Amino acid sequence: MIFTIGDYVAGMLVGAATALSVRMVVWPGMDMVIAMIAGMAIGMAVHIVLGLILAPLIGMFNAMIPASLIGMYGGMFFGMRDSMAAGSRTLAAAIAVGVVFGAIVVAGVEYYDRTLRGAVVDSGY
Amino acid sequence: MDTATQRKWDAASRSFDFITFGDDHRLGPHKRRLFAKMHGAILMVAAGTGNDFRFFPTGQSILAIDISPKMLERAEKKAAQYQGKIELRQMDVCQLPLPDSSFDSVVTVCTFCSVPEPVIGLRELYRVLKPGGQILMFEHVRSRIGPLGIFLDLMTPLSRRVGPDLNRDTVGNVQKAGFRIRREENVYLDIVKSIEGVKDR
Repeated sequence: MIFTIGDYVAGMLVGAATALSVRMVVWPGMDMVIAMIAGMAIGMAVHIVLGLILAPLIGMFNAMIPASLIGMYGGMFFGMRDSMAAGSRTLAAAIAVGVVFGAIVVAGVEYYDRTLRGAVVDSGY
Repeated sequence: MDTATQRKWDAASRSFDFITFGDDHRLGPHKRRLFAKMHGAILMVAAGTGNDFRFFPTGQSILAIDISPKMLERAEKKAAQYQGKIELRQMDVCQLPLPDSSFDSVVTVCTFCSVPEPVIGLRELYRVLKPGGQILMFEHVRSRIGPLGIFLDLMTPLSRRVGPDLNRDTVGNVQKAGFRIRREENVYLDIVKSIEGVKDR
């Protein structure tokens, strides 16, 4: 249970940090493709740094896999969103979107993990 | 002896327990369940700092090897605490100075992500196992889920510098070495797995 809570906290932290970092770099009116690529690069960098910090607490793969999806796809999403000035008007609102995005990704990974978990091959002898 | 690999893991030994703290606590029950199947003469490959000794069933006699003498130094105290016998020795899994058909069980934990020539190492384990012997592995492998597999491919050049590869096909390598897969179980997504192989002949 404690690890599951940790997974969500970690995901929300990576989401918030990615949204904040992208917001610092991407401005409204920026070319959307460049914003998307920049967002992805920033997200990847954020996820590597935070993933490595969080890994000793919740486990290497449990930290890095959701963080990679949040960093990569979240970075692209936040970059496009900020370049269009669509949605979050304040920094706090942008961070809140990052937190929600992080939690959704963690929930998705958790669901996928549950469907995959268990025996793939079991010959029994 | 592969000195480059030895030096890498000697360096990693300093922070190994800290980095694996979360995994050890989270994955411990899965390891304990897998290791409950150990029996007879047992070889553990890549003992590391001995973090996994606590998950072994008590009363066993185990030869635990590692390529890194620094790792083995740190494993000494944990080996002494084990309620059974653990002998620690420095060896390279690709060149085992052990006789053919001498073990009933081989155990590995996150080992074949790091062995530079995994199939050669696995063939050595096949050689030292008795006919009917088993290999019990707790390993991480490349994901077959598209974006995750690509992510692990991208991260491997980085991770390889300080630790393991993230994109190994260990199940395939086990089969290439001659083992029959008895059981394969996903522990986290399709990345962390327990794998049981058997030497049939």
